[in-house]
Amino acid sequence: MLERDADIVIIGSGAGGGTVAKEVAPLCADGARIVVLEAGPKLRDDEFTGREVEMARQLYTDEGGFLTQDRAMTIAFGRAYGGSTVVYTGTSLTITADTLARWNVPGVAFDDVHRRSLKYLAENNVHLLDEPDLNDNNRLFADACGRLGYRVEQFPLNLKGCRGSGMCNLGCPNAAKMGTHRVQLPAAERQGVTVVTNCLVHRLEDRTVVATVRGDAPGEPSPWESGEYRIHAKVIVVAGGAIGSPALLLRSGLGAALPALGRYFTCHPALILVGQHPKPITNYDGHPKSYYCDEFADSEGFLLETCMYFPFTTAKSLAGFGADHARMMATMDRLQMILVLAIDPPEAGNRVMLGRHDETVVRYAFSDGVRRSLVQAMRASARIFFAAGAERVHAPAATRFFIEAADAARIDECIPLDGLRLGKTTIASAHPMGGCRMGTSEADSVTDAWGRVHDMPGLFVADASLFPRCAEINPYVTIMALADRVAEAVRREWPALKARRS
Amino acid sequence: MVAPISAPRRAFLFSLASRIVPWSVNLTPDRRDAFLGLIGDALATRPPAMRRQFGLFLGVLRWAPAVRYLRPFDQLDGQRQDAVLCWFQDCPLALIRSGFWGVRTLIFLGCYGHPDAGTRIAYTPSIDGNAVLHARARR
Repeated sequence: MLERDADIVIIGSGAGGGTVAKEVAPLCADGARIVVLEAGPKLRDDEFTGREVEMARQLYTDEGGFLTQDRAMTIAFGRAYGGSTVVYTGTSLTITADTLARWNVPGVAFDDVHRRSLKYLAENNVHLLDEPDLNDNNRLFADACGRLGYRVEQFPLNLKGCRGSGMCNLGCPNAAKMGTHRVQLPAAERQGVTVVTNCLVHRLEDRTVVATVRGDAPGEPSPWESGEYRIHAKVIVVAGGAIGSPALLLRSGLGAALPALGRYFTCHPALILVGQHPKPITNYDGHPKSYYCDEFADSEGFLLETCMYFPFTTAKSLAGFGADHARMMATMDRLQMILVLAIDPPEAGNRVMLGRHDETVVRYAFSDGVRRSLVQAMRASARIFFAAGAERVHAPAATRFFIEAADAARIDECIPLDGLRLGKTTIASAHPMGGCRMGTSEADSVTDAWGRVHDMPGLFVADASLFPRCAEINPYVTIMALADRVAEAVRREWPALKARRS
Repeated sequence: MVAPISAPRRAFLFSLASRIVPWSVNLTPDRRDAFLGLIGDALATRPPAMRRQFGLFLGVLRWAPAVRYLRPFDQLDGQRQDAVLCWFQDCPLALIRSGFWGVRTLIFLGCYGHPDAGTRIAYTPSIDGNAVLHARARR
C-alpha cells in the first residue's frame, strides 16, 4: 500500500469537483497540497472519435447503462477527467426562484445561488447559438411549439468554436464544449492542483482516502504510478456525483450516523420520442439541443427538449422490434426527436444503497404521478411532431408501433394513460440528484447549507447529491453554484483545518 | 476483454437477431464476429451474476415455447417466433419484460453499435456538421 499526504483531497472532477478544485486552487500559493482523484481517464483530443460504443465505454460508468435495482431504468453518468461535463450537451440553465423556494434549505438563498450561477455562465462562455447554426430538428420543434401555443425557449450553451458535430454526448471531438475539463480543471492545475486520473476511491477512513490507480486505463497516463493508495488529508471533498458520493459515504460506514444518506434520490426520468418526416431533415448535423419547452412543468410535471441521438441509443429507445422498428431506424435522416423529462418528487424510499457485495445499488420506484407525466409528455410530443409535419410518430406507450398523421386527432386514444409498461419501455436518466441532501439536521439531511457533512469536521460534499429535490432543469450550472459555496466554506475554514494533524 | 459466448448460444443469438433486426440475416462473417464481439464486450463489463442471468434468460427464451408449441424457439416459423417474443415483451411480470428488454438491447448493440451500420440507416454525421448545415441552407 502506497502512502501519500495531502491537505485537500477532492474526489471527482465533474461540475462539482472541478469547480471546487479551481476555487480552492489559490490555497496552493499558501503551501496547500491539493489533489483531485478522478476514476475515469483523461483522453487526448484525438481520442474523442465520436464513435458511439467506443466513447460510451471510455467516458461513462457501465457504458451509460447503469441499471436501477428493478432494471426499469438506466442512468447515464460520466467517468472522465471532467466527469459528466465531458458528455453533456452544454445546456446552461440557472435554477429558478420558485424551485429554490421548493428546496426550502435554510441558508441557501436564491440571490446567492443566482449570482454564483451567472459567474459560471460567463466563465464557460455561455451564449445562444446563431440562427444559421440551428438545424431542422430544432427549428421544427420551436415552430411547432409556437403554432400550438406552447412556451418554448432557446437553450444557452457553453461552447467555444462549436463545429456542430452533434456528438456532444460522446465527448466533443472538436474540443468545443466548455466543461470543467476545458475550463476549471486546467485553471486549477496551472495553480498547482494535481489531478490523478484512473483513480478509483474505495472508501474513506479517519481522514484517509483508500484508492487504487489503474495503470492499464486509456488516455493520458495518470500522474501517480499504478497501485493501491492511502491518502491522508485534512480536508476531504466528496464530489463523485449523486450515485457515487452517497455510495462512497455508505461504504465508509457513515450510514448509521446519517440516516438520510442515500435517500431522496431523484433523476428526471426521461424518454426519447421520435417523429418520422416524409423527406430528409437536418438533424444529426449541428448542435443537437437548442430548444426546450416548459409549458407543462407546473401543470403536468414534465419538460420537453430537442435532442438527436446515435444509432444504438435510438434503436434501444424505440419500443418493439422487427420490421417496423427496422423501417423507422432505416430513416435516421428523416427523424425528429424529443427528449421528455419528468419532474420527480423526492421520496425517502428512492435511494442509493449498497448490495450484498458492497456494490452500488439504486432503488427507484416510479410514482403514479411520474408515470402519468411521462404519458402526458408523449401525447404532447406527438402533437408537436404532427404540428411540425411528421407523417408518423413512435411513442413507447402507444397501442401500436406507428401513430399515423391521419390519427393525429386521436392521440389520447392512441397513447393510453396505462400504456407505459416498466421493463418494456426504455426509460433513461442523465440527471441523478440527491442522496446527500442539504438541510439542518441528521434526521432528514446529510450536510448543512455549505456542504459540510453533519458533525464530521473536514468532510464536505459538492455535487448534485446535495440537491434536496430535483432541479427541474438541466442541473450542471446549479451544481457549480453550490460547489462554489462549498469551496468558499473550505477556504473560510482552511486556517483552522490546516492546523489539524492529517 | 471479451466474455466467451458458447457456440450454441451464438447460434441462438443470431436466431433471435433475425426476428429483432431482420437485416441481421445478411451480416457478413466479419460483421457476425463484430456483432458477437460487441455483445461479449458489453457482458464482460457486467457483474458475473448479471451474466449468469443473461445465460439463464436465453435458455428460458429458447425452451419456453416448447410448453405451447412442443418445439424450442429456433425450430418455430417466423410468425410463431414473433408471437413468442411479443409475449415476453408484454409479459405481466416486470422481471420477464426487463429480461427481454436486456436481450433486445444487446442485439441492437450488436447491430447498430457498429460504425458500419450508419450507411445502412442514412446516418452519416460529420465532425464539421455546421459546414454541412450551411451548405444545405445555401442550396
